[in-house]
Amino acid sequence: MKRFCFLLLVIVLASFGCQKREITRPEAESESQQQKEQPETKAPEKVTERQITSQVESVETGGKVSKSTEEKEGIFKDIYFEFDKYDVHDTFKPILKSISAWLIKKTDVKLSIEGHCDTRGTTEYNLALGDRRTKAVKDYLVSLGVPSSRIETISYGSEKPVCTEQTEECWAKNRRAHFVVLHAEGK
Amino acid sequence: MKIAYKSLNTKFRAVLFYLPLLTFYFSLFAFADAKVYVDITSPTVKKMLIAIFDFEGPSGDKIAGIIRDDLSFTGLFTYVDKTSYVETLSQPFKPKNWTPLGIDAVVKGRVTEDKNLAVTVTLYDTFEGKGIFSKQYVAAKDLQRQLAHSIANDIYSSLTGKAAPFRTKIAFVGEDGGEKGIYIMDWDGHRMTKLGPKGNLALTPHWSSDGTRLIYSSERGRQWGIYLLNFRKMTEKRLFVSGGINMAGDFFPDGNSFIFSSSKDGTPDLYEFTIADNTVKKITSTHGIEVSPSISEDGKYIAFVSDRGGSPQIYVMLSDGGDARRITFEGSYNTSPHWSPSGNRIVFSGRRGSKNQIFTVKPDGSQLAQLTDVGNNEDPSFSPDGRYITFCSDRDMTKGVYIMRANGEGQKRITPRELKAFGPAWSPN
Repeated sequence: MKRFCFLLLVIVLASFGCQKREITRPEAESESQQQKEQPETKAPEKVTERQITSQVESVETGGKVSKSTEEKEGIFKDIYFEFDKYDVHDTFKPILKSISAWLIKKTDVKLSIEGHCDTRGTTEYNLALGDRRTKAVKDYLVSLGVPSSRIETISYGSEKPVCTEQTEECWAKNRRAHFVVLHAEGK
Repeated sequence: MKIAYKSLNTKFRAVLFYLPLLTFYFSLFAFADAKVYVDITSPTVKKMLIAIFDFEGPSGDKIAGIIRDDLSFTGLFTYVDKTSYVETLSQPFKPKNWTPLGIDAVVKGRVTEDKNLAVTVTLYDTFEGKGIFSKQYVAAKDLQRQLAHSIANDIYSSLTGKAAPFRTKIAFVGEDGGEKGIYIMDWDGHRMTKLGPKGNLALTPHWSSDGTRLIYSSERGRQWGIYLLNFRKMTEKRLFVSGGINMAGDFFPDGNSFIFSSSKDGTPDLYEFTIADNTVKKITSTHGIEVSPSISEDGKYIAFVSDRGGSPQIYVMLSDGGDARRITFEGSYNTSPHWSPSGNRIVFSGRRGSKNQIFTVKPDGSQLAQLTDVGNNEDPSFSPDGRYITFCSDRDMTKGVYIMRANGEGQKRITPRELKAFGPAWSPN
């Protein structure tokens, strides 16, 4: 009985030495195999690929909105932001006051506020930061009396920089809100 | 009839006791796998020495060259140059010509060309002294590269037991004359094609898990929308548009819905879009920014970026929005997370000093590893087998798409220097 148990134990322990997966360098362990076995032959494989062309047909759902834009200077100066921040600095509030006064009078147009970031930082987070900048400016204009429906916002993140040098000066120029006047179609 | 254990003969008792154990141990051998030459799961892999002849026939050298480049990039093979070969392509294979050089495998091939390209390839195992497979491939002449990649795929899977990525593609954003659009190329940078309608700004491409569709974000008429490109029909359809930003994220594994970030309700949050009925379900709702979502391959978890803690950091939550946990604690700017296919790593871009670098981390936030250290490195994502990472880098003139092994080795640019390229996404197949 003791010998029997001992034998079982030896077998069990010996099995620990064998890997489940055999990593090879094949050795002479496979003596039973033929030395010059024919390689496994398969039927010819036809290599094909789905055609990908540049021409893509657009299947739009919903109508397109036509807008003509007018880049305005004068009172519509760009306003700038600190790194990673979206709050409106006091320095720029006078500009926004002039813009709000103009908008309240000129009732047949809309204002589009573009939000931009400097080129540091990653694509998606920059788009979100630009978006928050536009909303901070919009909120301030609304607080000055401009109806919310007269203002649209669009963030471009760091995708439309005005300069691309890796300098503090250039980065500061890109951290901006830019104003564009929108006319409805036909005007 | 109950058997009282104690009444049994002791020997019989022993057999009863040990039998299940023995059955278990011996069953392990019954499931022994087919022979694997290179165990790619082993932490220290010894590279396999492989000899690849220039194939006989037209473009034989080009096809062999593509196979060599594919296998070399894996980091599992060392290609031995033909100047060391004792045997010629036409001589019959003899192990004794190879084993003294320590060469493990030999590839020979022959190309014939009439209407199509036909290539016959044999892979030999020098230590067993025989061929492992011999196969013929046929392709239209303009698919020469894909034919070579198919051969490399078969050699790789013969020797490692795993599927290879040599026929996969990478979608990315390319900038050409101020216009940013979606491009597709082979994983090694060849056969680049620009997709889609011109004149628009398009970003963040993501593949469906069957590789037949691509979603991306595009700004048209001063609005961000999410668009779906169907490769079967080569059609583009707008799925969602609103004020604010809308950024396409990963598809869910079943391909019926995807996650995206939108600021339609005020601040950027994460939403799930179901394609069949165009419904939108809100998943996060904070006063801060939530963007850049990545879904784990099993669909159970979402990694994303949030500034709810005061700075952009990586969080992991359940795919219904519950149980969000922050996983990055070093540095003040960690973004662009992407899950590995196995779910045991998240790759992301983190700012250190003034530059962005690629890191991997376990989903519980441990084992942070930095993979790059030169230039700005962003937009990382894994290959479908989890062994490689694609990302963009501005370390060498223009920002371009790069690939590397998932441990940081073998970093190289695959887009041309003249094209500004970023936002790469690796196809699933």
